[in-house]
Amino acid sequence: MPSIDPITRDLWQVIAATDEILPGIVETTLLLDIRIALTRDVDGNPVVWRRTDEEQGDEIDPETIMDRLPAITGYGYIWTSLGTPPAELFPIPEYAEPDRKNMSCGSIGIHVSAPRAVENFLDMGHFPYVHTDILGAEPHTEVKEYDVEVSEERDEVLATKCRFIQPRAAMSATSAIEVEYVYRVPHPFCSVLYKSCPEDESRRDVIAIFLQPMTEERCRAHLLQSMIDSTSSITDLRRFQQTIFGQDKPILENQYPKRLPLDPRSETPIRADKSAIAYRRWLSQKGITYGVIPVAS
Amino acid sequence: MTLSLTDPTWYPIASSEDLPFRHVYQGQLLGRELAVWRADDGNVNVWENRCLHRGVRLSIGINEGGELKCQYHGWRYANRSAGCTYIPAHPADAPARRIQNRTYPVREAYGLIWSAANEEQAFRPFSGAEGHDWFALRPVPVNAAPEDVLAALVGLAPDDQPADQLPGLAVRFGGTYYFVQPLDAGRAVIRGLLSEQPTDPLTTLRQYNELLGKLRDRLERSAARKPAPAPLQPSFEKVSAELSTMPDIAIPRGNTITVVVKRKWTSADGVIGFELAARHGHLPTFQPGAHIDIHLPNGMTRQYSITNGPGELMSYIIGVKAESAGKGGSKVLVETVREGDLLSISEPRNNFPLRRDAVRSVLIAGGIGITPLLSMARFLDKSSLPYELHYFTRAGETVAFRSELEALHGKVVFHTGLPRTEIGTTIASALGQWSMAQHVYVCGPGPMLETVRATAAAQGWPEEAIHYEYFKNDKVIDNSSSFDVELARSAMTLHVPSGKTIMEVMREVGLTVPSSCEQGACGTCLTTVMEGEVDHQDVYLNDSEKASNSCMMTCVSRAKSARLVLDI
Amino acid sequence: MAITLYDFELSGNCYKLRLLMSILKLRYDIIPVDFYPGRQHKSDWFLRLNPFGQLPVLKDDDLILSDSGAILAYLAKQYDETGLWFPDDPAITAEILRWHAVADDITATSSAARLALGFFYDFDIEKAQKGAHRIFRLMDEHLWFGERKDRDWLCSPAHPTTADIACFPYVMLSEEGGISRQDYPALRRWTDRVRRIPGFTVMSGIFPAGRALEPL
Repeated sequence: MPSIDPITRDLWQVIAATDEILPGIVETTLLLDIRIALTRDVDGNPVVWRRTDEEQGDEIDPETIMDRLPAITGYGYIWTSLGTPPAELFPIPEYAEPDRKNMSCGSIGIHVSAPRAVENFLDMGHFPYVHTDILGAEPHTEVKEYDVEVSEERDEVLATKCRFIQPRAAMSATSAIEVEYVYRVPHPFCSVLYKSCPEDESRRDVIAIFLQPMTEERCRAHLLQSMIDSTSSITDLRRFQQTIFGQDKPILENQYPKRLPLDPRSETPIRADKSAIAYRRWLSQKGITYGVIPVAS
Repeated sequence: MTLSLTDPTWYPIASSEDLPFRHVYQGQLLGRELAVWRADDGNVNVWENRCLHRGVRLSIGINEGGELKCQYHGWRYANRSAGCTYIPAHPADAPARRIQNRTYPVREAYGLIWSAANEEQAFRPFSGAEGHDWFALRPVPVNAAPEDVLAALVGLAPDDQPADQLPGLAVRFGGTYYFVQPLDAGRAVIRGLLSEQPTDPLTTLRQYNELLGKLRDRLERSAARKPAPAPLQPSFEKVSAELSTMPDIAIPRGNTITVVVKRKWTSADGVIGFELAARHGHLPTFQPGAHIDIHLPNGMTRQYSITNGPGELMSYIIGVKAESAGKGGSKVLVETVREGDLLSISEPRNNFPLRRDAVRSVLIAGGIGITPLLSMARFLDKSSLPYELHYFTRAGETVAFRSELEALHGKVVFHTGLPRTEIGTTIASALGQWSMAQHVYVCGPGPMLETVRATAAAQGWPEEAIHYEYFKNDKVIDNSSSFDVELARSAMTLHVPSGKTIMEVMREVGLTVPSSCEQGACGTCLTTVMEGEVDHQDVYLNDSEKASNSCMMTCVSRAKSARLVLDI
Repeated sequence: MAITLYDFELSGNCYKLRLLMSILKLRYDIIPVDFYPGRQHKSDWFLRLNPFGQLPVLKDDDLILSDSGAILAYLAKQYDETGLWFPDDPAITAEILRWHAVADDITATSSAARLALGFFYDFDIEKAQKGAHRIFRLMDEHLWFGERKDRDWLCSPAHPTTADIACFPYVMLSEEGGISRQDYPALRRWTDRVRRIPGFTVMSGIFPAGRALEPL
């Protein structure tokens, strides 16, 4: 079994959408190569433990579980940790705004490492080729200059002024328009995207991807949408996000090596990849080794 | 026998008929995955199945006929060289860095495609290969160790015909040859050849398929009882240090290449075509709009645009105007260079890159200026991108490269012998009003270039949508400034007074400085700038290269700052 | 006529109908069904449409149909004026239905492996993968010998039929179930041909093919 670096071990790790876990019913999953079982107690609080002989769907009295892993609920998901996690999850303040539609969009397994999936989430250059006619379309392929910084104070990668021409950025759009994105990477395996909101110009829709590293080469993507949208149904909004993610899936699964190589000489970056380069360096500096190929020392 | 990643043996990796046009075949040899594709010129490419950018399999990409397009970010790689020709995220840049995918040797022979893990051995036909009309059987993949597959094939030999084992994993009895392609430690493909065409091919194919299918089932049953061998672990070669960083710009100093004049012909009255072929293999990757320097026997250097389409790397075709032969450079080419002669050329360079992200591209050529635009039109054509090509020639002048232009599918309009006034209105209507993502490319005589620039500007075309190329530096050089130059490696500081060039001052103190055109057009004196602000006056560097302030031409360019530090 | 498709974007079985309707240039409305994670196909309102609790369901005016293979046959017979997609000839009908049955086997194997790996269904992954390889091997052989006789499609006519539509999606999506198609070159070439049928449309997980070389 691969060793788990101390940074990864002490992180909060997402494992399931809260409302998909029924109180007293066991759900099983894999986290960092460890078999995990979880349920919720009568008050709805998550109970997570290292799985022994429980099977998916078993009924269990959560009070009988003594040897528990830390567990919290955040952004509609249950999070746990194999080590000593920080007091709180990274912030997404918009989530608490009362008029937002917050929703999980399904947890989808992908045969690639979690960091590869984060990097793809940060990438705009693939829009015309992978999300054709939705997030981009040829001939508009240019990734214009944008800004990237690693915020020491908040310990996150931040890419701003990311602009891209999208054919159907909004339902109301009749021609290609340029949209502006902001990306945050506040957690080695999570990223949050802010994009201009068609319904209210002063606010931004939030789409986040939380990756559950199941093994070094396999992860589970949990998608969150926090939208200002008074017309679309949850089913419509989920469908849109699943369509996008379903298009990324075959790309990610055809990427290899499946772990993210941190040696700058393993792949060929271009200027458009600034955020990915910052992300790789940030992982390297943190000492993350799980799901990556570290730079040979 | 254990398989080795470095085994230099040539193995068959596909049948010829596995590779129809515009298809990408997914192959494997000794643990390494391969993307195999046939270009429209028939050439078979065997590449590592992995885009150098982000590691995505190229076998899910698109075979565009002359280039392979990665599915993830649309990067294009050229037939033969596997060199990257276009990065859509940065459509205005010519990829200056030599990004090249890993390629494997390839040979198409006897109905099979052959390749090897490395180039250590030259391809040699198997014994008895010559003199037969080979017939390929249906390949049969087997989930069993290659050596076990070979042993089982040997066992197929009829009693009266002993098996004859051949080098590599191969066996023969009579006119039946079996080659085992080692995919990996526990997987193989049986590729059979018959030394003559059977009378009833379909029945023969079915018979052999049934025989080998049974053999496969037997092998797989027995392999399932054994522990599976560990797969080979091929490593991915690292990219060069140069590619691992993201410099704003990197300008390779061109190496020279020797080429053979394969063909010389009159393309039109006064236009001589030259086909310059590599002496071995293929020539370097080029992008549409690129030119080469030709180092002429008389010591002069002249630039000529490459007219080729995507993936055409066996030779470069250029057009030379005989009329200007009076002025030295082209005269030597037209009058003294003959078919079979050797010439020294530079690697292709591109100051006139073609964006492939336009909703409309207008190409305007005058006379011999058709050459770079022909290449652009061919690239746009292959990718089915919309373009209009307007070719202006004088009355009585014939159209160069006419048959090549007529083979294009886009809108190609010939304007012959128009009076000067009509040229202006024709250009105006060809351009139309500008709207987003429209680009115009112009190459031709100075006055025409000016007409296009002025007309386009008047019709709302922004400067960045108007593309043109200078071959010689017609600009008036302003040499009035004076400044200091510090030569970092030579540890000396020189003063450059007004009226003298940096190059002249360096030569005065005895430094040897390579140069050629000495008018800021050829790039020979390219020098790295370490400090100071450059006053670029050359036409060699493109705008982004100039803006990077990281290099300069010492023959014409000067300093805006009081001091320059050069890496000399 | 008013066609409504009860649809889940990531379902290959729903995509079969979107694909044929795109090729036949039929207009239709979509009612999205939250199959995952919402499990709406097991909800009361859906079970009233299809008691089997399976997608897709297609409504054509008052007619309610389920099962992708059956609906393919219906759409072709009802709306394909050329009569090519599901020909009347008895022998060809049998041939097509034979491949519709193979398509169901592909769903039971390749799609099951995909559901297990991507959507965490409690299926026997290894068994599903082996089953898919067994079918793909047979298909590759069938298509390889077809190419020798200038037969480009699964059935004998010189044009594609609903058999090709029915088998295509879960062949193309097999890699999501951990089933490589590397060993099936003729099957891979057939997927290029299907993707070049005029009117072809994609779904998430399936990319379009490039243009074919135009005959000179």
